[in-house]
Amino acid sequence: MDNLEGLIQEYLQREAQSKTRRHFIKNCAQGMGGLALSSIFMGCDPLESPKKKASMTFSERDLNPLATLAPPFSPKVKSVIYLHMAGAPSQLEMFDHKPELLKLDGQDCPQSLLEGKKFAFIKGTPKLLGPQAEFKQEGESGNWVSNFMPHFKKVVDDVAFLKAVHTDQFNHGPAQLFMHTGSARLGRPSIGAWATYGLGSENQNLPGFVVLTSGGNTPDAGKSVWGSGFLPSVYQGVQCRSKGDPVLYLEDPDGVSRNLKKSTIDAINKINKEEYAKYADPEILARINQYEMAYRMQIAVPEVMNINDEPENIKQMYGVKPGEESFANNCLLARKLVEDGVRFVQLFDWGWDTHGNIREGSVDLGLRNKCREIDRPITALILDLKQRGLLDDTLIVWGGEFGRTPMQENRGNKKMAYKGRDHHGDAFTMWMAGGGIKKGASHGKTDDIGFSGIEGRVSVHDVHATILHLLGFNHEQFTYQFQGRPFRLTDVEGEVIKEILA
Amino acid sequence: MRKFYKYISISTAVCTLLLLGSCTSSEKVDFSTQIKPILNNKCITCHGGIKKNAGFSLLFEDEALGDTESGRPAIIPGDASGSELIRRLHEDDPELRMPYEKPKLSEKEIDLLTRWIDQGAKWGEHWAYSLPEKVEVPVFTQEAGFASSSSADFIKNGVDNFVAARLESEQLEPNPPAEKSTIARRVALDLTGLPPNEDLFTAFSSGNLSYENLVDSLLSKDTYGEKWASWWLDMARYSDTKGYEKDMGRSIHEYRDWVIRSLNKDMPYDQFTIEQLAGDLLPEPSVDQLIATAFHRNTMNNDEGGTDDEEYRVASVIDRVNTTFEVWQSTTIGCVQCHSHPYDPFKHKEYYNLMAFFDNTRDEDMPSEAPVLKFYSPEQQQKVDKINAWVSENGSEKTAGQYQDFLLYNEPVYNSHHLKDIQNGSYDDHASTVFWDDGSARFENVSMEGATALYFKHSSGINGTTLTFRKNNSAGEILAQTKINKTEGSIIRKIPFKKVNEKFDLYIETNNNGVAKEVNILNLYWVALLDDIPAKERNGYSKINKTLVEVLNASTPTVPIMIENPEHMKRTTQVFERGSWLTKTDTVEPNTPKTLNEWNADWPKNRLGLTQWIVSKRNPLTARTLVNRVWHQIFGRGLVSTIEDIGSQSEPPSHPALLDWMALRFMNEHNWSIKSLAKEIVMSGTYRQNSENSPELYQKDPNNELYARGPRIRLSAEQIRDQALAVSGLLSSKMYGPGVMPPQPEGIWQTVYSNAKWVESEGEDRYRRAVYTYMKRTSPYPSFMSFDGGSREVCSIRRTVTNTPLQALVTLNDPVYLEASHELAKAMQVSENPEENITLGYEKATYTKITPAKLEALKELYENSLAEFKSDQAAAEPFFHLQKKPSAELAALTIVANAIMNLDEFLTKA
Repeated sequence: MDNLEGLIQEYLQREAQSKTRRHFIKNCAQGMGGLALSSIFMGCDPLESPKKKASMTFSERDLNPLATLAPPFSPKVKSVIYLHMAGAPSQLEMFDHKPELLKLDGQDCPQSLLEGKKFAFIKGTPKLLGPQAEFKQEGESGNWVSNFMPHFKKVVDDVAFLKAVHTDQFNHGPAQLFMHTGSARLGRPSIGAWATYGLGSENQNLPGFVVLTSGGNTPDAGKSVWGSGFLPSVYQGVQCRSKGDPVLYLEDPDGVSRNLKKSTIDAINKINKEEYAKYADPEILARINQYEMAYRMQIAVPEVMNINDEPENIKQMYGVKPGEESFANNCLLARKLVEDGVRFVQLFDWGWDTHGNIREGSVDLGLRNKCREIDRPITALILDLKQRGLLDDTLIVWGGEFGRTPMQENRGNKKMAYKGRDHHGDAFTMWMAGGGIKKGASHGKTDDIGFSGIEGRVSVHDVHATILHLLGFNHEQFTYQFQGRPFRLTDVEGEVIKEILA
Repeated sequence: MRKFYKYISISTAVCTLLLLGSCTSSEKVDFSTQIKPILNNKCITCHGGIKKNAGFSLLFEDEALGDTESGRPAIIPGDASGSELIRRLHEDDPELRMPYEKPKLSEKEIDLLTRWIDQGAKWGEHWAYSLPEKVEVPVFTQEAGFASSSSADFIKNGVDNFVAARLESEQLEPNPPAEKSTIARRVALDLTGLPPNEDLFTAFSSGNLSYENLVDSLLSKDTYGEKWASWWLDMARYSDTKGYEKDMGRSIHEYRDWVIRSLNKDMPYDQFTIEQLAGDLLPEPSVDQLIATAFHRNTMNNDEGGTDDEEYRVASVIDRVNTTFEVWQSTTIGCVQCHSHPYDPFKHKEYYNLMAFFDNTRDEDMPSEAPVLKFYSPEQQQKVDKINAWVSENGSEKTAGQYQDFLLYNEPVYNSHHLKDIQNGSYDDHASTVFWDDGSARFENVSMEGATALYFKHSSGINGTTLTFRKNNSAGEILAQTKINKTEGSIIRKIPFKKVNEKFDLYIETNNNGVAKEVNILNLYWVALLDDIPAKERNGYSKINKTLVEVLNASTPTVPIMIENPEHMKRTTQVFERGSWLTKTDTVEPNTPKTLNEWNADWPKNRLGLTQWIVSKRNPLTARTLVNRVWHQIFGRGLVSTIEDIGSQSEPPSHPALLDWMALRFMNEHNWSIKSLAKEIVMSGTYRQNSENSPELYQKDPNNELYARGPRIRLSAEQIRDQALAVSGLLSSKMYGPGVMPPQPEGIWQTVYSNAKWVESEGEDRYRRAVYTYMKRTSPYPSFMSFDGGSREVCSIRRTVTNTPLQALVTLNDPVYLEASHELAKAMQVSENPEENITLGYEKATYTKITPAKLEALKELYENSLAEFKSDQAAAEPFFHLQKKPSAELAALTIVANAIMNLDEFLTKA
């Protein structure tokens, strides 16, 4: 891993020679002769065409709801990669260094901390649990990173930590919903849906909002965490899968060649054009457009989702496992997707719920293994984007739905089989990296045992306001009219976290 | 353009509504149409429900005219020049000028506000909050004024008079009627969700069946209820799973079937409403009326580890308040949960008055979904009948009632999450309380009016535990005692209980000397206290007693229902400060918002009374809401286009008088019959126009809100599937029963902590109508999602129609559509001449005559396909998902059929 930078250089040189392939995909309809109708409706290569202003007429967006729109303010980034550790990682073993807690290991938790608090599983008076990892200051910033994340120190100066994030939810489902939709109850659009609604997509051959999952399960809150809520469903996340069709129903049926599919779509669109002549309904034009896009998507998606053809050294750098579902694969895919202009890439990795009831769910053994699964890929992702000059156009967000208690869990009033921590929303760590982010910053501080934030506390709404700010939106003005009132991602709260902005 | 009809007269009342501002010949300023919009757009963000800057709010009359922080009112009726509000609008100092930091109001706006205050600052009511008593239908003389003969045909019923009046004022003419084939397909899709069957279509096309007879015959089909159920179930948030993290299965299809049956028998909408919201409170409710109450048991149930049942019970109650108002009143009352409504005249406290109606049901977010209605088998039912007969024969009416309820739905019980002071044990997340040796816990304030039998549900893996129930505390009198041994699963037992007449704490203790510390010796789920069954002394008692315990433990199908708390379990409802259930303030009683219709003192102050208030003919929103939504189902747009919201923030109605006229007719003439309402709409000339458009007309009326053309909208997710199955002959007509699982791609379900699996249905269950597809909230059927179906987690009033490439992939590649294409192709293969086959397939699917150009395009596709399938390479490959490869001709026809099923005209109702 030490020669990571070397590996990237080597790859970039090689890739420069074979750039044409991906270029074809981006140039969408131009290769498609008879299907070039789309050029009537939109610039074919959105990267080259001038940006359309947000004031574009409705009818244009009706034809293509993912047409690119410029945000109202100058954006710092074009794309977001959001890495969510579902189950909630322990900040106390990863980034929030608490030497005092080590000294207090095994002692009863002070009553003052427990009064008026609700926990998911802790009962009575739990004991404090010292950090199960060792911490060191890393990089020029001198920010703390634990020995569970040995590679991460290489990029520690690229990220900005939020050490005192808080949430009012302490159950997975509602907390994940809150983290991704700004509301613990169902029915609101996810951040990715807001971003795609507001900005459209830079690549018309790929979905604008892609979701990748690993860890064997989808998030606790289900698909609503990438849902579109009351926004049109076209803005919901599209789950790209590692097995089967990467996008549902993408693959042509057996015995239908590409040629035949092209003939089919030609025939459909010819007839639809005749229908348009009769009914003059722009929906028909939109449908013609969508069929062309579907055809192109059938090429573009497998292409971008295929990591087998990536050079060995890149695969090695991320630690990918081709053919399997893994977080490492998803990190590499995330890079490919933002490189191709996908607006929002959401990674969910399941398996971070370390209660101490089973070995995999312990904060020493299990957590260490989970950290191993993400440490290298995340480091590689940041370095890879950086070397390609993409990091400045991309925002990476890392976090869980809440944090974990400084106390050892005592579910059912009993000592647990392994060392574990309960759900904790009062203080936990997230970090961001990429365009517009102050490199090496660390904002917020928790008390001596990491129970509560004592400085720079930020809420989930603040995190959302900051993400929208970096995408070029004022979160208070970015609204959608529904049920007689304007709705916001941040509801009636949220402040941009200026302290971590460059 | 000549006038095509002459518009004679409408009453003044309608005039005000219809033409809004343009009818003000006098100088009188109208609050609701001229002032309220200014206040809402320019003032209320800072001086409204959420913020009341300087102590000034413009939401309610008393607030607007009352004293502000300065100690004086900002509006002095009759004296604009003396009113601070007007002075501030003219102010030059930007610190003082209102609206603050916003552009100055226009001269016209200031003038209106000034005149309004001078005229007395009369507060008016928004049109949505009162319903006129009568609306006159505009009258026309059909004098020689028609521009074209087709327009003469336009007026078929009262609906058209209103539409014509507006068209005339916009100088538009209606389209000619749609062709017979088009209108037959349109009306069949609208009423039954399916294209017309062949017999009906032929009879109508050949003139043997009138349009009205076609409509009547469609309305009488069972498929009508299936179609309209999809609409209702979106609002009811019907799902076959509970939602949230675990999203376990839920047995509630009986409710879905109740909806289909009720719609098919055209249950009047007021009754339909009463049974769903308060069926359990009707006198001696029938099983069907209890099933209907599952409407509000469609709320989600959180089984996630570590969640607080009370928190999610409250969440369900809140959802019920919000859903009731969204479904019946087109009002987003949810806003009022945290603060007075920012725009509509509903106060913060009124939310909790409404919540008090819903706060007293037995359900407590239990994993068991209790209370559930049990469906006994005939043998089980015989036993139940015997028990009930015994009890009513020998016991009091009260006891008989207790047992009828207890056998039907096992309530009322004290659930173990209410246990306090648990020692040597703990609440075992969500299901039961676990006891160890020397364990104890308490139910507080138990009151059972002299009960003499104790029922409890428990399980244990260990023999020899003594379970003791005492009065109040560890030193209290023993009220019941028994031995607990190993059980197989959890069971209900009955033990004698010593009568206590006053309220007391039920103290529970467990002892077992034979086990180590912290060993689980008992899981206790709930305790119930009832009168013992009577006539202990009589022969047969012990047999009945045994049968009773047996029946209580019998496993049966169930459906979750609403049951009201008995008096001694009643909760008090309090206002939540800023909407947080943890910060409760004032206690409130059930009541309805002041702005809407008055409460009738004869109504009980419970859900039943609330429902009577909703279906009162004086309620201004119930009928309008329903009429608007049925109209939306048919035209793709509501008369008030924001169908989820009729209030001061909604779009004004395109045809206000028509909306009111139909609402009044729906209640008074149609007697709440949805079928009659739907019939009136589809019989109108407005509906029967063709939907052709021209660039000029589109320019003038892009959304078709003037109705100068017929509706043209994309079919719903359900219709798209059902239609494909119908035209290919695959569709099963089987009705009702548990959700079915037609093929979906592998790996769609990946649910945490749940072993639920998508087990593909066999036989005709693969081809059932979409309304029967198993609906899992965290992972709905993927092709429905692509076509804008929702996840049914919360009430959904409207599906936004989108148009995306992922939809094309579904109808092009989803095996369900491939199979349908292949079946259609088989039915198309009737001749040696491919043109005939293609024509047949196209016309079978779209119900329209093929044009030469379309035939040409499909023929070209056929020939390309045929050439490819005849080539050596293609011949060797498998085709679609078929075991046996079809002939090249049939394969080519299958490709053509697949293309037909992807045509805009197939996916759209024109």
